Amino acid sequence: MRELVILSGKGGTGKTSLTASFGLLAAGTVVLADCDVDASNLHLLMKPEVMSAEAFFSGELAHINPESCIGCGKCEEVCRFDAISHQAKTYRINSLNCEGCGYCAVICPTQAIDMNPARSGNLFVSEIKSGDIMAHARLFPGADNSGKLVARVKMEAKKLAEKYNRELIIVDGAPGIGCPVISSLSGADYVILVTEPSASGLHDLMRLVEVLKKFRLKAGCIINKADLHPEKAVEIEDFCKAYEIDILGKLPYDKAFTEAMIEGKTIIETNKSIRIVLEEIWNNINLKSI
Amino acid sequence: MKIAFTASGGNWEAQIDPRFGRTAFLVVYNEETDQLEVVDNSAVQAEAHGAGTAMAQRIYDLHPDVLITGNGPGGTAAKALKNMQMSIYVDAHNLSLKEAYAKFKENKLTLLTP
Repeated sequence: MRELVILSGKGGTGKTSLTASFGLLAAGTVVLADCDVDASNLHLLMKPEVMSAEAFFSGELAHINPESCIGCGKCEEVCRFDAISHQAKTYRINSLNCEGCGYCAVICPTQAIDMNPARSGNLFVSEIKSGDIMAHARLFPGADNSGKLVARVKMEAKKLAEKYNRELIIVDGAPGIGCPVISSLSGADYVILVTEPSASGLHDLMRLVEVLKKFRLKAGCIINKADLHPEKAVEIEDFCKAYEIDILGKLPYDKAFTEAMIEGKTIIETNKSIRIVLEEIWNNINLKSI
Repeated sequence: MKIAFTASGGNWEAQIDPRFGRTAFLVVYNEETDQLEVVDNSAVQAEAHGAGTAMAQRIYDLHPDVLITGNGPGGTAAKALKNMQMSIYVDAHNLSLKEAYAKFKENKLTLLTP
């Protein structure tokens, strides 16, 4: 089983549009995993029909037991997230502010505060429009993505790949280089970097490549919207060569991407010439990642 | 010598888990006593963030001489392990513990250099 992880460093480079396209090009052989859980949007293009759902818990939330609370106010004093407030002698936790650090529970003189697992969202397994399976998640407002949640979505995708006898997992990763990204990289066979020719596109790509080198992962780069700033695109190519990143291909800036998105479709369903370029890139990825 | 493996199971036939912080198990082989110590890692897996550093702490408590793993630890955990004078061998995923140990003995694993 091979695992391809698609990352960008910078958000908005077209990572999810390309993930969805590759997902359709690999139809019949693939399981998709949307690990960009903070702003999951792969489902918008893949039209999933939910087959199963389960609750996901991450971190803890404080809960004050009113029977044991003596209203001393020590918890409110120590809470550095301003998550505890009171009216008269009744103390309350604001769950949106509570970070689950547990300081209040430790100092409470009457042990009136419990730390409970926080339900942060749902994990889904769905059938998508190509007939393939996708593991994805949706967080509740204010809940954050985490290495734990990404590991959970990936584990589900692996189980599904075994169950349905699929040889490939395509993971849509999160932007940035934080905990969810590190978690999405573990066990990856090849990383596809989607970038754009802008100062922040290159800067964030460089940070990401530093992380990849730490884990000695093989990677290739797609320069999206390459014609918007050809000089910057050349700079990106030079950077990739210096760091032994494969150049997988370039895509032009095209309003067709936006139009496809508005229709809830992938670009390969709506635009023939871009489809041909993407097919070529996809073949390239398959060759490089084996 | 004590050798720690990140592992997907608790015996010699289990595969090396490529993950460091969120590995399924940590297995420690004591060459002197010929014993395997199996540590279930579900507690660290339950950490929302900071699995790598939690694992580094766990390894410190078990004080093995060598760690054999897959992708290897991230920046912060690697720094902590380096301060423990630990030899870290990487890229051992796709091997069973038994195969990885044999390769370690033949000096055929990749040593992680900072």
